[in-house]
Amino acid sequence: MNKASIAVLAVPLLLAACIAAEKENTECDIESVSLHLDSPTNFFYHEYDTMQAVISTETSVVFTIRSYVDINTVPTTLRVTKGAIVYLVAEDGTKTPFLNGSPVDFSDEAVRLFHVVSQDGAFSRDYKISIVHDKPSDGNLSFDYESYHLDSSGKFYVWDGPDFFNDGTWKNGNPGFKICKSSALPMDYPTTPAVGAGPDGSNCVKLETCDTGPFGRMVNMRLASGSMFNGIFDVSNALTNPLKATLLGSPFTHKPMQLRVWLRYERGSVFQDRNGAVVNDVLDEPDVYVVFYRNEDALGNKIVLDGNDVLTNPNIVGLGRLPHHYNPDGSDQLSNNPIHGVTDQWQEFTIPIVYTEEVDATILENKGYSINFGSASSWQGAFFIGAVGSKLYMDNMRLFCE
Amino acid sequence: MKNHITSYLLILIVLLAYTQQAYPQKGNEEKKDYAWQKWGPTTGLSGGGFIVRAGYVIGGTTPLPLPAEVRKINSFSPRGGVSLGIDGYRMFSKRWGISLGAHFFWEGFHTSADVKNYYVWLEQEGEITKGYFTGNNVTSTEMWGVTLPLLATLRMSPRWNLSFGPYLSYYFKQTFTGVVSDNDAGVGYLREDTPTGAKIKITRENPTPYPDDFADNMLPLGAGMEFCFDWKAMRHLNVFGKLDWGMTNIWRRDFEAISFKMFPIYATIGVAYRY
Repeated sequence: MNKASIAVLAVPLLLAACIAAEKENTECDIESVSLHLDSPTNFFYHEYDTMQAVISTETSVVFTIRSYVDINTVPTTLRVTKGAIVYLVAEDGTKTPFLNGSPVDFSDEAVRLFHVVSQDGAFSRDYKISIVHDKPSDGNLSFDYESYHLDSSGKFYVWDGPDFFNDGTWKNGNPGFKICKSSALPMDYPTTPAVGAGPDGSNCVKLETCDTGPFGRMVNMRLASGSMFNGIFDVSNALTNPLKATLLGSPFTHKPMQLRVWLRYERGSVFQDRNGAVVNDVLDEPDVYVVFYRNEDALGNKIVLDGNDVLTNPNIVGLGRLPHHYNPDGSDQLSNNPIHGVTDQWQEFTIPIVYTEEVDATILENKGYSINFGSASSWQGAFFIGAVGSKLYMDNMRLFCE
Repeated sequence: MKNHITSYLLILIVLLAYTQQAYPQKGNEEKKDYAWQKWGPTTGLSGGGFIVRAGYVIGGTTPLPLPAEVRKINSFSPRGGVSLGIDGYRMFSKRWGISLGAHFFWEGFHTSADVKNYYVWLEQEGEITKGYFTGNNVTSTEMWGVTLPLLATLRMSPRWNLSFGPYLSYYFKQTFTGVVSDNDAGVGYLREDTPTGAKIKITRENPTPYPDDFADNMLPLGAGMEFCFDWKAMRHLNVFGKLDWGMTNIWRRDFEAISFKMFPIYATIGVAYRY
């Protein structure tokens, strides 16, 4: 063996010998919460409702049970970061170590506090877990986008939605934009309030396709479309699998028939592909749609649409969307003569919801269908394709049900 | 890292012991003097001359000691690895002399390591992404430059020289690139700002590279200590090995993307023409 090859072997061996002892974990997340019930569907609408995965940005976990049942103590299991210690916090603030599987008193919609301390003891997070009764929602809904506030980080705006939405709020891609553009002010985000800009002089919401800057280019996500939807934005997937970051829809007990919404559009002039190259002869288009889908498969598994299949999943039973051109295979067709009809003047649009399958009344009553409201300033924005500067103004959305 | 230093000391001790045995004290004085003369500088015992060196460089640019955030080195391979240089030397006595050299080099390495809770702070055009990364980190660096060593030479035996002393390096060009993604166990994520911040997955399907201008934060000058041994294989031909132990951080002081100092530590093995 010559000296060079000895040296080649020696360097990694020397480095390996230098690996220091592993430090204790610093993370302290509750990753999921499971409730143990003998007959879950007596209390919940779906069997899968007894387990909730907790995304890293959430610290509040709310289970919803049928309006007419009561629940007392429930054996509860929390999956936490390896090595983290969980304490149940009593009302007087005293903390007692929590053992998985111990019963927790969730009666009277009590909010239980859990304090999770990392393995190294340096970090902690506080979680709230509760079980609430389902509140029947109205079928006919109207959204005026008047109620909004800054999120907990103070970086961007969030809008209040009806109670049956996850967290009772509208979601958008702003948390993803925050990763790329840390310097952005709340009004620089893709989804912002437009004060006094509505058709009636009230506030409306503005969706704008924004450049994501140097970090966006680095991860090949060069633009962010303004968006509004109901469901969950799981920021953990925002860089890896952004279409999976949007978990779309909320269980809904009414059959939607028609969406009416006021819209105004200012199109960005330069259409670009994912690599940022200019595409000539293509005009950007806005998108507004309502999707109604079966949220459980034949085996009882939970179905949640995401950015990949929100308009194509076979579980979709009803769909209403602004008009677009489509290819013969059904995929979206980019074009230079859009037919959506949205102009730079406010107009009210009526979008009928077309059913391809019968809606089962019993399943409907038992929250077996979910509704998703989607909108975007660039209809291909989920694929990071569109025109920077496209703006969709939206106000007074109304849903009419059967 | 004590192990590391101890290893090199051991190598030196072994070399010393070897030379002592190879030239035992037995035999007559004349023969010994002849050997010192024969393998000495060009003129007598206290002359001077030049040594032209060509070598293969291997090593790494590393924090010392390796921080606990580095959990596993998955792979290591050298990049570049060429050193060409010239030394002027002068022996003042049978045993002692000095040398001054200029060694042009192209050196570097590529390594893949698993890290846990590795603090990253990336800034590009005023946008900052920071937090704690757990997963796989692949780093490549290459440096082109010249090292100017000023060494004291100890002639341990007629054919063995040991030189040591400080050096100054000037880099003509440096690159430092890298990418973070998930490791073989499928773990790859950033906790934004703190370990309780948003958990953002980063995988090899969509890995996140270091910014293009990362190397702009490297200092053009470096200094350290050089240790060099020469074995006179033939009248004009040396076999040599040297170690350049960098003692100044490669990064500018205000560079926050990497939370620890990194030092270039490179060894060269080669042949030299001596006259």
